[in-house]
Amino acid sequence: MVENNVLKVEDLHVSYGPIRALRGVSIEVQEGEIVVLIGANGAGKTTLVESILGITHAQSGRVLFMGREITHAKTEHIVASGISLIPEGRGILPLMTVMENLQLGAHHVKGDANENLGLIYKCFPVLRDRTKQMAGTLSGGEQQMLSIARGLMSKPKLMMLDEPSLGLAPTIMRELFKTIVELNKTGYTILLSEQNARQALQCAHRGYVFETGEVVLSGAAQELANNKRVLQAYLGGVI
Amino acid sequence: MEIFIAQLINAIALGSVYALLVTGFNLLVVVGGIFPFAYSHIVVLSMYMCWFAMKVTGDNLLAGILAGVFAGTGFSFITEPIFRPLAKRGAVLGSFIVAMAMSLIITEIMSQKLNMGIVISFPQSLQGEEALIRFGAATITAGQIGTVVGSIGAGFGFFFLLYRTKQGRAFRAMGQSPFSARLLGIPIVKTRIYAYIIAGLLGGISAVFLAMALGTASSSLGDNLALKVMAVAMFAGVGNLGGGLVAALILGLSEGMVLAYLPGDWSQAIAFGMIMVVVMIRPKGLFGTMA
Repeated sequence: MVENNVLKVEDLHVSYGPIRALRGVSIEVQEGEIVVLIGANGAGKTTLVESILGITHAQSGRVLFMGREITHAKTEHIVASGISLIPEGRGILPLMTVMENLQLGAHHVKGDANENLGLIYKCFPVLRDRTKQMAGTLSGGEQQMLSIARGLMSKPKLMMLDEPSLGLAPTIMRELFKTIVELNKTGYTILLSEQNARQALQCAHRGYVFETGEVVLSGAAQELANNKRVLQAYLGGVI
Repeated sequence: MEIFIAQLINAIALGSVYALLVTGFNLLVVVGGIFPFAYSHIVVLSMYMCWFAMKVTGDNLLAGILAGVFAGTGFSFITEPIFRPLAKRGAVLGSFIVAMAMSLIITEIMSQKLNMGIVISFPQSLQGEEALIRFGAATITAGQIGTVVGSIGAGFGFFFLLYRTKQGRAFRAMGQSPFSARLLGIPIVKTRIYAYIIAGLLGGISAVFLAMALGTASSSLGDNLALKVMAVAMFAGVGNLGGGLVAALILGLSEGMVLAYLPGDWSQAIAFGMIMVVVMIRPKGLFGTMA
């Protein structure tokens, strides 16, 4: 049913000059799901996420958000309509304080910007104690939390996380995925792009496997985790 | 002694205007993403507008001030679309070339068409007819006090905007990372336009204060100021707003004092000497660039 579709990407083609980064990619995300995109570096996951947000121009295909077409819309309007991207590498502003970074997350919010702070401090208590600290002095894990918290400030209808586990220590990574699952339980719809296929598939509902710009496999996360090809390529081989 | 104090006051007034100019310049660098070489020329053009307005209204001070401020804001605003494609591509050197071309055009217009190229002289009413404070042989005019107070006020206003408002946060975010700013839904083009408007406003205010501090203007003032603004910006670190302020005051003070005791226009040589030394030792400027 179209109503439950938060995001629908239809046959998207994106090229960077002669390089075809996405060749006819179609995915969909239903409300309340965690959908994961797995694949190696350069497979097209970041390109897809940036195209959805209007940062990268698509040559053909469609992107629909909450039933409305946003394929060639401006990034600022797409963000304002309810999509947050937590980019690869966190994208926090190092020379601004934690609080200022959070406030920027609600930049386009018309009403009370601090509505979501309560939930955010509950999920990330470490941030509450460091509101005046320069974001650049936080540790990698804390920066990742800040990045996610910032994305939450606007209560987005769709949260996209691009490689959030990159550069994080294993214990922090586990916390991260736990947080993602918790957020999903409170009602957030999440599109997650990950190289860390094992943990990502463990917390997701459904997944898509990317190879050189195409979706080569899709299905329920559990099935993908047991799929021979996926096991071979991303999960360290069949036991 | 009193002469020294009078010179010092003048130097402080000059320094505070330079600080305003550098602030506007840095704003265009950081948020506009360009090298605004023609910024000073727009300021001088605004000085001419101030002069015209006073001429046709019989030396009306308010008319002069309004003309200068509106001219600065307006001229800056209309240059934004010219630089937009360059800013989009991150072509800073390209923007420098375009800005230089613009500065040449503005200088020519001033030297050929405005007042037939003759140096313009600002009426006494701009300085304040009587000296406000007198001690011995030295006087301090209302204009000088107004300049220092006004510049401080404008400076505070700007920093308040930058560090305490939503728009200011957007400016700083764009300066640090246009990509992150975009992700946060900050409208990139609109934000740049705001930056041009505010830089223009600062420029217009500077134009009025310069008219008060210098008393005259000519077509060559644009180049003269542009080089000094560049010197200060590079000395402090291009884009470094706080550093720029300090450096501007240093330049203004040294120039003001030098003007009093050395013949000729040594001020330009000092400005260039400063750039030369700093660029050789610390290319990123004394306080480092923002990037």
